[in-house]
Amino acid sequence: MTVEVLSGNHAQSEAVRLARVQVVSAYPITPQTTVVEGIAEFVASGRFPTQFVKVESEHSALQVCVSASALGARTYTATSSQGLLLMHELLHWAAGMRAPIVMGVVNRAVAPPWALGADHTDTFSQRDTGWIQLYAENNQEVLDMVLEAYRLAEDPAVRLPVMVAEDAFYLSHTVEPVDVPAQEAVDAFLPPRQGHAILRPGEPSRLGSFTSPEDYVLFRHELAAAADRVVPTLGEVEGDFARRFGRSLGGTVVPYRCEGADAVLVTLGTASTPARATVDALRSEGKKVGLLKLRLLRPFPESELRAALRGVGAVGVFDRAYTFGAAGAVATETRAALYGERERPALTSFVGGVGGREVTPSLVRRVFDHLLRGPEEGIVWSDLEPHRELETHG
Amino acid sequence: MQEVRFLGRGGQGAVIAAELLAQAAFLDGKIPQSFPFFGVERRGAPVTAYARVSSEPIEVRGSIATPDAVVVLDRGLLRFAGATDGLRENGWVLVNAPASVQAFAAPAGIRLASVDAARIAVDHHLGSPTLPIVNTAILGALARVTGIVSLDALERAIAAAVPRKPQENRAAARAGFEEVRPLTDPRSRLPLPPPRPRRELPLPEGPLALRSSEEILTASWRSLRPQIDLSRCTRCNFCWKYCPDVAITLDAEGYPKLEEEHCKGCGICAEVCPPKTIAMVAEA
Ligand code: SF4
Ligand code: SF4
Repeated sequence: MTVEVLSGNHAQSEAVRLARVQVVSAYPITPQTTVVEGIAEFVASGRFPTQFVKVESEHSALQVCVSASALGARTYTATSSQGLLLMHELLHWAAGMRAPIVMGVVNRAVAPPWALGADHTDTFSQRDTGWIQLYAENNQEVLDMVLEAYRLAEDPAVRLPVMVAEDAFYLSHTVEPVDVPAQEAVDAFLPPRQGHAILRPGEPSRLGSFTSPEDYVLFRHELAAAADRVVPTLGEVEGDFARRFGRSLGGTVVPYRCEGADAVLVTLGTASTPARATVDALRSEGKKVGLLKLRLLRPFPESELRAALRGVGAVGVFDRAYTFGAAGAVATETRAALYGERERPALTSFVGGVGGREVTPSLVRRVFDHLLRGPEEGIVWSDLEPHRELETHG
Repeated sequence: MQEVRFLGRGGQGAVIAAELLAQAAFLDGKIPQSFPFFGVERRGAPVTAYARVSSEPIEVRGSIATPDAVVVLDRGLLRFAGATDGLRENGWVLVNAPASVQAFAAPAGIRLASVDAARIAVDHHLGSPTLPIVNTAILGALARVTGIVSLDALERAIAAAVPRKPQENRAAARAGFEEVRPLTDPRSRLPLPPPRPRRELPLPEGPLALRSSEEILTASWRSLRPQIDLSRCTRCNFCWKYCPDVAITLDAEGYPKLEEEHCKGCGICAEVCPPKTIAMVAEA
């Protein structure tokens, strides 16, 4: 174990090397490029004996991973924004073929207009593909999540691909200290992928080819059942990780100072950092506010979220994206999860940090001010009202 | 926590400077963070990068609104509004400037220092004379005036993280540390820029389109300017035809004219001019 000062992208590359990934294929796109550059440097220096397959597009990169994964290899790719959108068809193939691929996604705004900043529209629009989606708040989480993602993806109970998402620039290009575990410790936590080849040379069989309606539903139901086993399996994986490495990422939802809170803000990714600092500041002023950091978006950790928000008067959900015609995506999911509760809190959807706008402590403070004024259903475009009190629309 | 904003141009190494500062601070036992502001990644285009150094875990991310120091790798960038916005009381402005520059006009409560990082870089064969890589020299100067990192840690960070010419870069950092000069003379030669006006966001109606690129003033990327000697110009119009930014127009008689606000200083016009009547000269 050594502490190194790494960017989020290099935390991905380090984790891929430590996981002894056998096949890497990726196509460059800003701000993902340095993930793959880091891996390419490891390969060139002889430190990482992986099969690095150069391709002409993201679509092909994922196809390489799907094929290699079907043959039993541990595979990795990384992309961002338009590149992820181009992969969309193959995302369905990867999940449907039960290929335990891990993919680093640098969350970046979707065009038009062209933009490079952090935004969750790219991954939110892939929620229905069957991939597991984990979101990191800092570079340590990026590294740890990639290692955990392989255990989760390859667990016989799950066998689904995983995206490890990190915010563009706020993580991808920010350097900070990261604890890089020793290779032996990672090997003990993450042994080689075993017994997983669906296709074996010499044993003819078909994967993903034509089915009748009678059979198709069986495949879909099997995938649904696997998704239902993600939350308990992730709990086991994280428990083992914590025992071995002495640190824990804290589960699917991570509450912070939510005890007796009048208002709680749900966040995803790097918005959690200024939100936590603001919760501390407001608590020291005697205001009862808390933070609920969401780490898993797919499958949605409904019961964990419900339990964490029980008894809270006003819930705000901070989304770095907007689902057109609805609200922030995490807000709509959270609202649905709370439907089964006897006492349902009012829920405000805050849309902020869109396209890389900064989420500052002062913005989060105005979000909490809004929540503390009284429970209110609605949507607030918090970026657009930078110098005034926030107003609810819709 | 100490916070530093770096202003430079693509190719000068501002992003690496911020990252090296973070690596060095870590070797000093501090908790660092560094972050580039990302826009166009083109040689000559203005680049901003940030670094934070703290003894506690850092609970913020993103750009720095109230820096303790602003490091200016290209003093031409001081022409633009907002360069020193938010600087804290008694904060430092450290400028890469030749020894001939004796003073800057600075409001009270700002401390100024300069170092001839370009000359130091050239002396140590870092970059080219037209585009010296000044980042390690100016980091040495920053270590001296602010004490944000030790020179020893800086040298070790450079040795570990700079793949090319690590010895030359270490020597440049030491020279920057030695040669940095505080500027206290009240006679002003280079004024500090005005604050950037605050933009109130309009909420427009109807489909948006971006405005013409005529409004994008690429002059901020320029460190060299084409100087056309019209007495030898044959009016062949090559410069007009080849300029990628339409920054050369033709006057009524067909002579080339430089559009100051759009010329980015790429030098293509000088390259293609058959009688070599265009010279690329350093910006003042
Ligand atoms: S240097 Fe010459 S070619 Fe380049 S932008 Fe300026 S006028 Fe155009
Ligand atoms: S290329 Fe040279 S000679 Fe030709 S018009 Fe331009 S300045 Fe004159």
